[in-house]
Amino acid sequence: MDVRIKMEESLIVVIVEGSIDSNTSGELQTKIMGKISESNNVILDLSKVDFISSAGLRVLLMVYRQIKVKNGKVVLVGISEEIKDVMTMTGFINYFEMTETIEEANKLF
Amino acid sequence: MKKATESRNFIASLDSLEPMRDFVSQKGSEAGLNKKQIYGLCLAVDEISTNIILYGYQSSGITDGVISIKINFENDIFVVILEDKATPFNPLEARTPDENELGLPLEERKIGGLGIMMAKESVDEFRYEFKDGKNLNIFSVKALDN
Repeated sequence: MDVRIKMEESLIVVIVEGSIDSNTSGELQTKIMGKISESNNVILDLSKVDFISSAGLRVLLMVYRQIKVKNGKVVLVGISEEIKDVMTMTGFINYFEMTETIEEANKLF
Repeated sequence: MKKATESRNFIASLDSLEPMRDFVSQKGSEAGLNKKQIYGLCLAVDEISTNIILYGYQSSGITDGVISIKINFENDIFVVILEDKATPFNPLEARTPDENELGLPLEERKIGGLGIMMAKESVDEFRYEFKDGKNLNIFSVKALDN
């Protein structure tokens, strides 16, 4: 898994590549949490994520909770059909806005 | 691939999760399973192996544990068996979130049992057996005529 974080005005963009499983989720969580206090809104680009387990969902949940208390928004970008299925199955799908591209996500702020 | 039996051993470490999923993906794809079925099997293998690695072996004090993956494909049924010698644990008896809990706002959600629930939902059949001192977690999917 590879994580890149870009800070923009009142917005952080997190670009993840690879798999988010219980081996990699800790690193993702640490990286995002280190930056999240600087922002009210998060764009999570998951278009290059091929696999996400419950450990990955746990990170999404944590990000959502942090941002929610600040009345901010979390937008997920480019999630695959399979990951969408997992999010539907677990009810997570209802809490995130989703777009196909980063450009579309930017328009939501 | 009409019929096949394969087996591979993995060190019970979180570093093995990716190679385990790759092994199952590759064999699933050779058997003609679709993307969704392969993803579901990888998810089940990942979630249950994570539990075995983090809780099963740890709680039995074994530091050099092994998880074997056995794959059997016959009569259009693709079966993945996870074998381990950790503390006996039947995930199918573990408590998983119910409909009401899944509908709760994310702020109020508890996360326990989610992985096992996801594993159950992701395959056609999930069975557990304890045999000859081994936990067997057995996932099956039916290859569809594509």
